[in-house]
Amino acid sequence: MTDAYVSGASMIKVDKYYESNAIDLAIAAVSQLEDQLTTKKPDMLFLANAYSESTEEQVLLANKLARTLGYEIPAFRVESGDSSGGSAIYSAYLAVKSGIAKSVLVVGTEKLSDFPTSHLNDIISQNLDEEFSYRSGVVPQAYAAIQMKMYMKEYGVPREYFAEWPYHMHKYASENPFAYLKFPVEKEAILSSQIVSEPLRLFDTAARSDGASAVLITNHEIGKKISETPVKIEGVEMFTSHFDYRQLKAVQGALKPWREFRPDFYEIHDSYSVTAAMILEELGLERGKSLYMLDQIQVNYSGGLKARGYPGGATGVYQVAEGFMQLAGIFKGKRVRDANRGLVISADELGSVAITIGLSR
Amino acid sequence: MRILPPKIWRNKDTHYALSASVCEKCGNVIFPARASCNKCGSFKVKLVKLSGKGTLLSFTKSHQIRTGYEKESPVYFGLIRLDEGIEILAPLVDVDDDPKDGSRVEATIRRLRVDSSNGLIEYGTKFRLIENE
Ligand SMILES: [Zn+2]
Repeated sequence: MTDAYVSGASMIKVDKYYESNAIDLAIAAVSQLEDQLTTKKPDMLFLANAYSESTEEQVLLANKLARTLGYEIPAFRVESGDSSGGSAIYSAYLAVKSGIAKSVLVVGTEKLSDFPTSHLNDIISQNLDEEFSYRSGVVPQAYAAIQMKMYMKEYGVPREYFAEWPYHMHKYASENPFAYLKFPVEKEAILSSQIVSEPLRLFDTAARSDGASAVLITNHEIGKKISETPVKIEGVEMFTSHFDYRQLKAVQGALKPWREFRPDFYEIHDSYSVTAAMILEELGLERGKSLYMLDQIQVNYSGGLKARGYPGGATGVYQVAEGFMQLAGIFKGKRVRDANRGLVISADELGSVAITIGLSR
Repeated sequence: MRILPPKIWRNKDTHYALSASVCEKCGNVIFPARASCNKCGSFKVKLVKLSGKGTLLSFTKSHQIRTGYEKESPVYFGLIRLDEGIEILAPLVDVDDDPKDGSRVEATIRRLRVDSSNGLIEYGTKFRLIENE
């Protein structure tokens, strides 16, 4: 089988864009790949977007984007909640690996900034089962809050423990020009921020925002032609499971094949501080202590969902773009030391879907 | 946000009777009820009504507001282990202070949300503390 490469990546700053819709943002990201796309038109397009029916009152987005770019190629929207990005990358990987496509354009785009919190909460709650949870008025934050309480009880950690995550994410994001919350924060400010769902506070949650990112996935031949630094996709794994308060089964499953990989850095899907801790512990850090060990692991130098920002289903595409830029030595924020191998973990809101993407240079 | 009568109608067994399915092959309890088992994949399932009684394992007081549920904020959500052995997250009612983990709870029908455009009200299951059992 052919090998697949990331041969180009771009993104716009994660932010509020009241003057642009999801297609406008997508074009802004894709336009930065103009040179590469002129050399080789893509054979397929995968668009990652989770919430357009509710946020844009739009469907058929992939076709609309392809048509806008002047392409008459197969174009698919991939929707898998917040793991849409990772799922779209997986789809593109399959297309290139199989030899059906030589070059695939993956675009993630999402608009979450147009709405008041109450409406956005309603949209994000569509991730829950419809019959009981959604209709009962449950919000995903409640699951994360209880997960956090259970974690605190299990490992005997204080509330202060979780402040480590936003503290580090903001520190990293302050160096990333594409980050939404590009400023450091003190731990006191984190610990006294607004209560979302006790004991979960605002700084424990992802910063909802707008964004778009584009990634070119090609075979080796095209990769060499359009990029000085094509990055090899060592593999993509996906695992789906039920939500579990006590463990991230999907993450465990999607990590299993990577035991021998030993990445130098990670980009993980930190919906909540507690999610970050639980993922880090699946990566091998000590349970109940992982957030005190952030100096020992190169994780989310983008600033993560917490501070780079959380553009819904586009997030996974950002993560892969950031991984590519780290390995190509062109990331504009905090650089990874000795970047040879990176692992991206794309997941949905509560971690019942996980996609792992291994990259190497 | 629109409340649509067909949706309320088809969810009546879930919300008014706590209808679940039990797998005839592996005994797994599935809530909300489905025609397939989410553990073993069997399609041989039968419908049962849950007792609506359970034990509170944990809870959170949520300050998040959702369109249609504005009047409910802040709201307690409880993680409940129903006596049939499954865990569900559901709103708690008539709770003024933090409840105690381990408290006994039971299902009750209450107002869930109101459609501001047509005035329709949706009712469904919430849980309250049982004083003496
Ligand atoms: Zn079964």
